[in-house]
Amino acid sequence: MLVYTLKRLGLALLVTFAVSVLSFALLYLSGDPAAAIAGETANADDIEAVRLHYGLDRPLVVQYGEWMFNAVRGDFGESYYFKLPVSQLVAERLSVTMLLGICGISFALLTAVPLGVAAAVRPNSLVDRIALFLSVMGQAMPSFWFGLVLIVLFSIKLRVLPPSGSDSWQNFVMPTIVLGYYAMPAIMRLTRAGMLDVLGADYVRTARAKGAGEFRVMFKHALRNAIIPVVSLAAVQMGFMLGGSIVVESIFALHGAGYLAWESIGRNDLPTVQALILVFSMFYIVFTFLSDLLNAWLDPRMRVG
Amino acid sequence: MKQILKGAGIFALAMAAAGTAAANKADDTLNVAFSKELENVDSYYNSAREGVILQRSIWDGLVYRDPYTGEYQGNLATDWQWVDDKTLEFNLRQGVTFHNGEPFDADDVVATVNWVADEKNGVKTQRNVNWMESAEKIDQFKVRIHLKAPFPAAIEYLAGPVSIYPNEYYAEAGPTGMGLNPVGTGPYKVVSVEPGKHFVLEKYENYHKDSPKGQANIGRLDIRTIPDFNTQAAELFSGGLDWIWQVPPDQAESLTAMGGFTVANESTMRIGYLQFDAAGRSGEDNPFTKKLVRQAISHAIDREAIVQSMLQGKSRVVNSACFPSQFGCEQDVKTYDYDPEKAKQLLAEAGYPNGLEIDFYAYRDRSYAEAMLGFLEAVGIKSNFKLLQYSALRELNMKGEVPMSFQTWGSYSINDVSAIVSQYFKLGSLDSAQDKQVKEWLDVADSSVDSEERKEYYSKALKKIAEEAYWLPLFSYNSNYVFSQDLEYAPTTDAIPRFFQMSWK
Amino acid sequence: MANTTETMNTVAPKVEPEVLSSPTPRQILLTKILGHKGLMFGAIVLLTIFLMALFAPLLAPYDPYHQDLMHRMIPPVWDAKGSWENILGTDHLGRDYLSRLLYGARISLAIGAIAALISGIIGTSMGVAAGYFGGRVDACVTFLINVRLAMPVVLVALAVVALFGGSLQVVITVLGLLLWDRFAVVMRSATLQLRSMEYVTAAKAIGCSTKRILFSEIMPNIANSLIVIVTLEMAHAILLEAALSFLGLGVQPPTPSWGLMVSEGKQMLLFQPWMIAIPGVALFILVLAINLLGDGLRDVSAPENRN
Repeated sequence: MLVYTLKRLGLALLVTFAVSVLSFALLYLSGDPAAAIAGETANADDIEAVRLHYGLDRPLVVQYGEWMFNAVRGDFGESYYFKLPVSQLVAERLSVTMLLGICGISFALLTAVPLGVAAAVRPNSLVDRIALFLSVMGQAMPSFWFGLVLIVLFSIKLRVLPPSGSDSWQNFVMPTIVLGYYAMPAIMRLTRAGMLDVLGADYVRTARAKGAGEFRVMFKHALRNAIIPVVSLAAVQMGFMLGGSIVVESIFALHGAGYLAWESIGRNDLPTVQALILVFSMFYIVFTFLSDLLNAWLDPRMRVG
Repeated sequence: MKQILKGAGIFALAMAAAGTAAANKADDTLNVAFSKELENVDSYYNSAREGVILQRSIWDGLVYRDPYTGEYQGNLATDWQWVDDKTLEFNLRQGVTFHNGEPFDADDVVATVNWVADEKNGVKTQRNVNWMESAEKIDQFKVRIHLKAPFPAAIEYLAGPVSIYPNEYYAEAGPTGMGLNPVGTGPYKVVSVEPGKHFVLEKYENYHKDSPKGQANIGRLDIRTIPDFNTQAAELFSGGLDWIWQVPPDQAESLTAMGGFTVANESTMRIGYLQFDAAGRSGEDNPFTKKLVRQAISHAIDREAIVQSMLQGKSRVVNSACFPSQFGCEQDVKTYDYDPEKAKQLLAEAGYPNGLEIDFYAYRDRSYAEAMLGFLEAVGIKSNFKLLQYSALRELNMKGEVPMSFQTWGSYSINDVSAIVSQYFKLGSLDSAQDKQVKEWLDVADSSVDSEERKEYYSKALKKIAEEAYWLPLFSYNSNYVFSQDLEYAPTTDAIPRFFQMSWK
Repeated sequence: MANTTETMNTVAPKVEPEVLSSPTPRQILLTKILGHKGLMFGAIVLLTIFLMALFAPLLAPYDPYHQDLMHRMIPPVWDAKGSWENILGTDHLGRDYLSRLLYGARISLAIGAIAALISGIIGTSMGVAAGYFGGRVDACVTFLINVRLAMPVVLVALAVVALFGGSLQVVITVLGLLLWDRFAVVMRSATLQLRSMEYVTAAKAIGCSTKRILFSEIMPNIANSLIVIVTLEMAHAILLEAALSFLGLGVQPPTPSWGLMVSEGKQMLLFQPWMIAIPGVALFILVLAINLLGDGLRDVSAPENRN
């Protein structure tokens, strides 16, 4: 287990490194950072002064090294736009995104798992059809459009939910549904498939033969086994969702990290975008790392691979 | 599973506890929406309209210009006089205190002016302050401001973007600290700032009694950034907002039809224009170096139709490169009426009988730009449309890489033509025409203290700009204000909402 | 059934007569395809959209770029203020909505197909190479897949498009370069399985070249799963383009992209909700059809169905 953990950790670190290089390089191409910092009224001399002051005239490798060295210590530099430390900005906005992510994944799990179980228990029944229908819909619905439809319905026609902002719990209802619905189909399908597998397995049949109650069979034996891959999928989906929250946040004007990212791209706010790409990637890397560990711990066969 | 349920339960509770803050006339709170994230409340370090609005409520200038009569009145200064054409002397008002209790005197004026006038301190819009050389304390309530060169529009600027900061506090807090905890002498003091997101202001009870701004009426302002109009409107319907502005014309029309709110329209000093790379900075051979091409485009676009069906309200087609009410804005210039046939003919004359393909940049009002694209297409000009953020387009422009762009300029609501023509036609990096003669005329006009001479030289410059079609001035903007029927408010043409002039009915 | 045989004859004329009495695997597959409701529905809808896009110049009542500022935002025919002149109404510049919708189908389909093609080529070559050669190549590819998965797609795509400016070519290239991960993952494991199969080991033993083994033994056997992923990624690319255009950093006006149409209609969400409803529904139906087709293909080609 230790060897496996270390190996996975090594891979995770290597991936982090690669992502950091990519995000640094990618955004370095986006025009002259010195001109961006110097601002709208600067002339060529101002820009040159800024270049020297921020050390933007040094070789890229040196600049990357410095950026990474500071980033590891949580210092992502200063936002070109707000002139505030990027880490402070990102930390402020991240709480909203995290909350949204947790709500979203909870919503997805709370709808997908029961539906998946119900669908597996009675394949081809009405429940199964409904579950399939919902998941097919969910995969085909553009999330930005779904969000707008919800706004029309709940904020404009029914006027029961606020269309934007992040001040109260009501602001999170629609974004949660939109974001959660995005992750739901995959979880539902996996739960259903897992349950179908498990329900046909020997030990479930044995349990039934021994006269265990249907409820007990379902939850004690079947679901417990079927849920393992679901948990790891949920972890991965959570990583994706945080990255995907950019669309949802921009529709509902939730002042989260995704919204900040979108705005910062438009404002050429290089340090903020770099930090956000790295942070979102880190979420994915950490979540998949944890889910791999969890899987390996639950299922020793995995540790070999 | 249990764990997950429990977790979800805790979150539901936590979020319920946050609660909603609905307010209105009943609790004396005006809920306002901004649509843009303001980078820094410190008015010298932002270039946004939202920043100007906050500036007028939080801070005071030495002088105040009544937006309805246009008359200059003393605010932090009681009176002033020109000592010579480069020196202004002010007698300051006594007994004024800043929001933090610091008393106001000559030191504050001197410190503020000397700070902002120093180019090293990087005030965002240099033009607002770079005409000042320094300030000098004569006694505790008397100061002199020294100008770099004669600058007739000085009082206009002092009544506008130049506000006075508390010297001790600013020395300590700097622009970042000022942005997070703004302190001024204005009718509203700041209670809280969440950068770019949420600002709460409260009436300043000790606001100096003789201010021409008058005392604030509404007790509390709650300003949130809501970028999307639809969400603003939905909030307005549900009572979460009392006042919104910059409402797009189509929506304003629908809201008027709907009733239940006051919809007011007022023109603004902002004009839209097409800027052509006449100097050929984006390439020697580019078609915009040819006057005929620029004129063809000027004839190709039906500006009247765009104004009537899209901008609506009090917008008008403009022909001169300035807003008509600005001092020196010559109206008797060459005009280009909508005439697609003539446009095609001019294109053919210019050597493009089969049309041409161009890059067309814009940064706002995508729909107006799209309409222009359509008109150009109709005369055989195919455009590659590029919508960039303002700062990105400006950067490209400074490098001279933009062949043609749709720009707008609001002149910082300064009612003098120098705020627009002298900004763009004096051979700077944003000057797409690079016409030396125009620059010379503008130099004369900018530094002359004789208003007739100024008019004459601005007129010469504007006439040449129109004749050469360096720009195609398009239209003036208007702004739609939609607010609660409980609110008493009359918008002004400078498009600076003054919260201290609003009151409940 | 009669229908099936007829189609069979045109598709595979080489089939011997006695096949009719004992169906070939191919025939079984075809029966399954025709019997699969989701698949058939998806295929028919997709084909219809494809034909509409192909014949857009014939079907569209107006030039999709022709603007008429005096007739802006006319509601569709079912609205009280609508008329048959513009069946789906007009947009904010008075351009015919139906014509734009038809031409927009071309954009969506082109983006889906080309992006899936690019990512398919990248992902499949990486996946097959990893699965077939194993060892360092595999480690390297696995690492690249991990890096790719760790990058937030929407954010990176937005940043890149902002960098190079939005245009059809840029959007297609960016999506193509970003969406290869699933191809690589699935192709890698499929090849990994095949590598140890007898016929592959046999081919190796008789000294077939690597190229030959890859193209004549491996590729045909992974084609089924490849098609399924192609459909999934097509849908993915179409949705992403729409999202990018919606955020203002995708295809640029006046190109009639459905995502852009939703984004333009969003302005009038409150008073003219049909402006987002129409392109939104179109997008939904297209993606639904592609997904149903993909799901159906997966069902019919799944091993337990193959016999």
